[in-house]
Amino acid sequence: MNPSALIYLLTAAIVFGIGLHGLLQSRQILRQLLCINLMGGGIFLLLITLGGGADGPPDPVPQAMVLTGIVIAVSATAFALALLLRWHELGDSTELDAVANADANTHDE
Amino acid sequence: MIGLAMDCVLALGIVFLAVQTVRSRSLFQAMLMFIVFGLLMSLSWARLHAPDLALAEAAIGAGITGALLLVTWRRLQAEGHDPVESEQSAPSMWLTLPTAGAASLLVVIIGWVALQLPAVPGTAGELAWQRLEEVGVSNPVTGVLLGFRAYDTLLEMAVLLAAWLGARAVATEFRPGALPGPAHAEVPLVGALLSLVVPISILVAVYLLQAGGSAPGGAFQGGAVLAAGGVLLCLTGRLEAAADTSGLERLGLILGLSVFSLVGLLVMAGGGPMLALPGAWAIYLVETALLVSIALTLVLLFAAAPGLRRAS
Repeated sequence: MNPSALIYLLTAAIVFGIGLHGLLQSRQILRQLLCINLMGGGIFLLLITLGGGADGPPDPVPQAMVLTGIVIAVSATAFALALLLRWHELGDSTELDAVANADANTHDE
Repeated sequence: MIGLAMDCVLALGIVFLAVQTVRSRSLFQAMLMFIVFGLLMSLSWARLHAPDLALAEAAIGAGITGALLLVTWRRLQAEGHDPVESEQSAPSMWLTLPTAGAASLLVVIIGWVALQLPAVPGTAGELAWQRLEEVGVSNPVTGVLLGFRAYDTLLEMAVLLAAWLGARAVATEFRPGALPGPAHAEVPLVGALLSLVVPISILVAVYLLQAGGSAPGGAFQGGAVLAAGGVLLCLTGRLEAAADTSGLERLGLILGLSVFSLVGLLVMAGGGPMLALPGAWAIYLVETALLVSIALTLVLLFAAAPGLRRAS
């Protein structure tokens, strides 16, 4: 494996790990979305690096798949952002657990 | 040697920005870091011989996603979300350390496995290169997207449409102020700028579409560039949120999906396999329809409104 593929391979793994770490430790929905997108970016990088075709032309199939993936990622993010806005409207919160508590309180009353 | 140095700088930059996205106290700063992360990713696609991806990442990954994030932020604030409250309180060490440990373990495993993977001979990509001429375009990525894996692309359009329908379904009532107010709509230079930038975005979109057959480009990149023009019109108050989706907009939203399906089914009726596009003209026809749908869906998702109309 050539050195530059090695660099991108490690970057991909590290970015995925950073995204996962952020996703697990963060409570704000918006930041969790950013982290999911980071993880996605890491996976895309991994796919393209592995399909790099060290000798010969680059493999177009992973490239097409990642292109599809980028569009799916933006679709999912846009939908999640719409959900977030609705969530905020309902519970006045941008975190996941706070609204659950608020709901529990209204039921108690 | 210079290439390798550039790879190192890019990799360090990408990792740094990813860390900042996670660690920035301010959510706003995290979003900006993420947008710049997208731009560096786009450079690394170029380094990895994937210029189609570089264009897509810059236009969609960094551009449209960034605009969506920022406009959502603005809407949250307009609804009385306190930005100070959104500062991330430092998570406790008991949460940070185990998750960091688990994530690092995963990094080591992914890296180790990826390094062990043998190069596979006879991949689908090699087949795609050999039979690219049958599709009728010389850009292998466009060939794979519309020739060899047309199902993927068709369903990708379905996902995009579903995302818009979902976003409409959860936003219950129509809010006229859904778009942030045009802060600088009355500055005379805005009109001059728009009359320059919007036609250019259309021109670039059509160029990307046309070039996509033989060079980096295609419907997705073009659609995102066109959507950027639409986003600009929304931001400057030239387009307003409308209470319902007009017939033309409905048609535009389903155009890509329906033209693609129709051409695919006609091919089947003629005795060929479903979705096997017969030649370059069919690919350009389908891509044009895809471009319209992609651009319109992205703009409507950005506007978070059922429809758009010209500002009075």
